[in-house]
Amino acid sequence: MAKESPVQVPDKIQDKQSLADSPVFLEINNVTKIFGSAVAVQDFKLQVRKGEFVSFLGSSGCGKTTTLRMIAGFELPTSGTVMLDGEDITYQSPNQRNVGMVFQSYALFPNMTVGQNIGFGLQVRKISKTEIKQKVDEMLSLIHLEQHIDKYPYQLSGGQQQRVALARALAIQPRVLLLDEPLSALDAKIRVELRLEIRRIQQQTGITTVYVTHDQEEALSLADRIVVMSQGHVEQVGTPSEIYNHPTTEFVASFIGQLNLLPVENVDLKNGACTLGGQMVRFDHSEPRPVGETPRLAIRPEEFQFGQAEGHNVLKGRVENVMFLGAVVRLRINVRGALLSADLFNERAMSLPRVGDVVMVNFPAHACWLM
Amino acid sequence: MKRNTFWSWFWLAVGVLYFILPLIATFLFSLRAKKGVLSFLAYEHVINDPSFWESFLFSLVVAVFTILVSLLLVVPTAYWIRLRLPQLRTMIEFVTMLPFVIPAIVLVFGIIRVYSGAPFHLTSTFIGTDSLLVAAYAVLALPYMFRAVDSGLGAIDIRSLTEAAQSLGANWFTILFRVIFPNLRVAILSGAFLTLATVIGEFTIASFLVGIHAFGPYMSLIGQNKTYEASSLTIISFGLTWAFMGLLQFITRGRAESLAGAH
Repeated sequence: MAKESPVQVPDKIQDKQSLADSPVFLEINNVTKIFGSAVAVQDFKLQVRKGEFVSFLGSSGCGKTTTLRMIAGFELPTSGTVMLDGEDITYQSPNQRNVGMVFQSYALFPNMTVGQNIGFGLQVRKISKTEIKQKVDEMLSLIHLEQHIDKYPYQLSGGQQQRVALARALAIQPRVLLLDEPLSALDAKIRVELRLEIRRIQQQTGITTVYVTHDQEEALSLADRIVVMSQGHVEQVGTPSEIYNHPTTEFVASFIGQLNLLPVENVDLKNGACTLGGQMVRFDHSEPRPVGETPRLAIRPEEFQFGQAEGHNVLKGRVENVMFLGAVVRLRINVRGALLSADLFNERAMSLPRVGDVVMVNFPAHACWLM
Repeated sequence: MKRNTFWSWFWLAVGVLYFILPLIATFLFSLRAKKGVLSFLAYEHVINDPSFWESFLFSLVVAVFTILVSLLLVVPTAYWIRLRLPQLRTMIEFVTMLPFVIPAIVLVFGIIRVYSGAPFHLTSTFIGTDSLLVAAYAVLALPYMFRAVDSGLGAIDIRSLTEAAQSLGANWFTILFRVIFPNLRVAILSGAFLTLATVIGEFTIASFLVGIHAFGPYMSLIGQNKTYEASSLTIISFGLTWAFMGLLQFITRGRAESLAGAH
């Protein structure tokens, strides 16, 4: 486990404030990438501020890695431009861009020690041996692996190797740090540890970072902003809270976290009311949202509570399944044909309902919306 | 478990005997040059023959050049095919296997025919002929070298390593000589061993291009004229080839171990 950082991590609110004031540093303008007849990325637009941590989130094949590779220079866009610090780098070769890259497979050079790996980029730049040594020591202290300087990659664990890869990418003081699913090959515990480590190092160095992942928890916990992608295009860009609490498309709503989509009738959009299995439900209608041909009520499972509550919507249904998950109990409730998932926080004194029981759950109107 | 161990040792012993017995028989035969006693007389004759050393050293030098030429030809090619043209891999693999199908005699006649007349005239000078010999051996070694290097490349993630090096500012030359070549040490070594063994004992091409200057034709000549010396020559050449291979392995030992551990 890494030691605690000696450097003070800036307050998240202050951090956001300073980010908003930062100039745009990386610009991806209408980038499209076509492989043969397949469109991998379509009309991708994004502005990243200096020091910002942006995460590309999406399932396999959504174009997130291709976009990252176009920033790195490993793929050329079919159309569009990539601007870095005001410079058009669209057609610049990867070794001229000064962009640090961390790979899922670590990609450490097996023939070099940890120290040589970290110093490789500096050696290529023909920096003096003394300076290289200084920088390597600095980087090793940043990742807390000082004692491993002379080891070969195969002598390190996966987590240690990825930290070395991060240090190697940072040693050249890149303009942007790109991480391509860097934690995917690691086990769950190490993943969480390294996630914190990456965020600490990013905040400590203040480097502009683009992080590709298919793991929503990773994206939500790490990024200042998330770009949710699907089938080559951007679905939504926003802070983790915006993405989770205010998804603008059905894809984002169902991709991030769990979401109930329940068929409703008698929709009154003006007053924010409808019926679900004959029971009246009020929903959030403060923002105009597009509603599909068959309107459905969207609500996250964690919004439900047992019993009735003053001013809340109440639904009555039969329990079809009870799953005890430790901190959470997940119920499947049949509300006159509509199956909903409800996550209830576990309490020691709580008596769990049984399959077949008729239960009542409540939720506030502002917790649900129509799609 | 015990049964498995027994059969493992049994088959290993059978394998060892299969290789060792003919060598022992040849060795024992080579000791009978003097009637009625076992002696190293045949070995003395061979070692004291200046042609032996000349031809062996000549073939050794040709082998070293062949290895260098093969490496410079095969490594960048195999690397580029794996990196950028994977669809051509099957075709290239087929081409590299051709020396197994096309007899050496065809190859050498082709070489002599093309390079002994205008505009090349390479066979009219020693350096020209030696260069042709190296070139022919590079072709002959192609299946061994390509297979060894290609499987070595398959064992490392060359795409990620290349991209990592590129993102750190390395150009193609640096990537090839500081990242790819060193990580192929074990594969290169095995390709080099096979090339060395092939070149040292090769007869057909050498006899047409350089005659008994090369070790293969020299051995053949001795075999035709001297009975015991031929056997001793076999043992000596066997020993020298293995000694040279051992030396190569010793030189690259540390690196090879560290790379083997990486996979």
